[in-house]
Amino acid sequence: MKLDPRTKLFLAIVANSVILSAPVAYSALMFAVPAILLLFEKKWKFVLAFFSVYLAAAFGFEHLKTMDVGRIGTLVVSTMMIISHMMPITIVLYYVMMSTKVNEFLAAMARIHVPTKLTIPLTVMIRFFPTVFDEARAIGHAMRMRGIRLFSLRTLKNPFSILEYRLVPLLVSITKIGDELSIAAVTRGLSPETKRTCVATIGFHVQDAVVFVYCMAVVLICYVFPDLVGDLLSRLT
Amino acid sequence: MNISLKNVSFSYTDSLDDAVISDLNLEIYSGECVILAGESGCGKTTISKLINGLIPHYHSGTMGGDVLLGEKNTADMTLADISRYVGSVFQNPRSQFFNIDTDSELVFGCENLGKPREEILQRVDGVIREFRLEHLMGRNIFHMSGGEKQKIACASVAATGPEIFVLDEPSANLDLKSVADLTEIVARWKKAGKTVVVVEHRIHYLREIADRICYVKDGHIAHEWTPAELEAKGPEYAASLGLRCMNLKQLGENCHPGAEGDRVYGSNQDDIKFNNLHFAYNRKFPVLDIPVLSLHRNQITAVIGHNGAGKSTLAQVMCGLCGTWSQKRKARKYGAYLIMQDVNHQLFTESVLEEVLLGMRPQNEKAALEILAGLNLEQYAYEHPMALSGGQKQRVAIGSGVSSGRDIVVFDEPTSGLDYRQMLAVSATLQKLAASGKTLLVITHDPEFILNCCSNIIRMEHGKIAEQYPLQGNQGKLIETMLNA
Repeated sequence: MKLDPRTKLFLAIVANSVILSAPVAYSALMFAVPAILLLFEKKWKFVLAFFSVYLAAAFGFEHLKTMDVGRIGTLVVSTMMIISHMMPITIVLYYVMMSTKVNEFLAAMARIHVPTKLTIPLTVMIRFFPTVFDEARAIGHAMRMRGIRLFSLRTLKNPFSILEYRLVPLLVSITKIGDELSIAAVTRGLSPETKRTCVATIGFHVQDAVVFVYCMAVVLICYVFPDLVGDLLSRLT
Repeated sequence: MNISLKNVSFSYTDSLDDAVISDLNLEIYSGECVILAGESGCGKTTISKLINGLIPHYHSGTMGGDVLLGEKNTADMTLADISRYVGSVFQNPRSQFFNIDTDSELVFGCENLGKPREEILQRVDGVIREFRLEHLMGRNIFHMSGGEKQKIACASVAATGPEIFVLDEPSANLDLKSVADLTEIVARWKKAGKTVVVVEHRIHYLREIADRICYVKDGHIAHEWTPAELEAKGPEYAASLGLRCMNLKQLGENCHPGAEGDRVYGSNQDDIKFNNLHFAYNRKFPVLDIPVLSLHRNQITAVIGHNGAGKSTLAQVMCGLCGTWSQKRKARKYGAYLIMQDVNHQLFTESVLEEVLLGMRPQNEKAALEILAGLNLEQYAYEHPMALSGGQKQRVAIGSGVSSGRDIVVFDEPTSGLDYRQMLAVSATLQKLAASGKTLLVITHDPEFILNCCSNIIRMEHGKIAEQYPLQGNQGKLIETMLNA
């Protein structure tokens, strides 16, 4: 199932604002959308992994937040909080990034008159993220061979070293790749001055309407009638 | 379309005193195929960037003289204008795609030119048929082999129909079969009357197509030959200029110096056995299926085979980087150490010495310095690894492998993109390593390199070992299988 890039942008904006500002129950309403869409893209494993980590963190946080858990416990609980609040945002962004093609995005943004000076750098980002993950995986391999693991005596003694070992080669390789990508783009004539055509057909379909209506409904419930769900829940229980 | 470079000088800094290109004059005529050859760092890539407009429009620096495409001066054109006339293909297949899927990549250039939709679809259809890409459509570029990517790169540049093609070491990451495909592509362009400029030190695949070979040294054209003239001067002459072998078939027949003799680097003659090297993403299609792999100790074994034959997977399983949990655990204890193709991935620390100490148990600075001395790196012990040259970085990575105490070291294409001299240097390092008691397995597409230092050959096919034989006496067979694979 394919959504128009504009719908995805709308979804990302609504989802992020709801997830960041409303209680957890509402955010579940929101990140269910990208989760279902990812199932259509056959990303079963990702969705499963996401929900296991998310549910563990959210459940743990809800149960432990009012308890006195000591100093280390507080650290664990606050990590759970960060995970349960940030992960819904990552799944939304992951969906948008992985499912959007560069040319569709450029065409859709041109239709709503976003200047190319802004959209071209954004397309580089769409291309950049998968590359970064690919590089990070290769670096992870190299670290494993050297016997540097995330949890070991050595890394516990010096936790920043792990960050350094990961980041230094990553930064070196992604600056190089970023440069090569820009060269690839400019030698192929990508430029803000010329008008592009787009071969891919973009446009609104039924699925876009469904996502749009759903997002609007969540916004209404969240911001306009915030008591509605509470009433419903109390009547049910 | 003619290309003329008139009194061109260029420096990447603000002053022409440290110019990479100085007072260069070069005329390339319409319909010609010209190779710019030369050792790494001679300025040949800079010349290609002058032609495709990256200089002066992308790289900053100081430029003198004029570069003309037909009648137009590149300095007065924009990069988008230049891209209508000049199509560029680069060395690294990984980062020359702006899209993640092949379909979008093929139309990308045409879309940027703003051509009407129907015309684009028509052109792309033509290109797909011409390059026989049907089976590659709709694929994710992260799941494609280097040869496949390079083919898509050529096709997507060809789709815009430029008059001039500039290729910067396009064969560096390819197996010989993909190189043969590349030959065919360049031949087709030449036949269609296009001008083709190829920056390369591997000339063998263009020897029947190229009109001229311009040898670049210190930023100017030092020699100019036709391929036949260069070949007549003999392989030693080309090697002395840092160029790779001109004729691979001949290489197999009368073998380069150093290829004779049974190479034994160490005193131990027993075999090392690896059992159960299996791996599959999907149970029906095993990527790797080797019940027993036996390697001669203290020798250098070359692993050859197509892109996608399972060579890299073999390396990863042997090094404990993929496979089941128990495979990984076993490999961590007895496994091999991998020197990656992109060594930047495996250098983490702030100094070369620290890099070698990192995997050492127990850490011993004196021993680490000895390892570095063995690799001619002692003077760089306190430098940052990222500040070193490519070859030096590779040696640092080897040092980290030696210090990890593992007996088997696996190399993933250690000589891709290297000129003759650099290749000899790598070969010498590997021979030294084998003599010091390590057993080496080298994944490679480089026949010259194999003839130079390997003693055993393993050919892989569909995740299995198709054959295993000693190099001695089989040189001709080796070259033949590599060419026809």
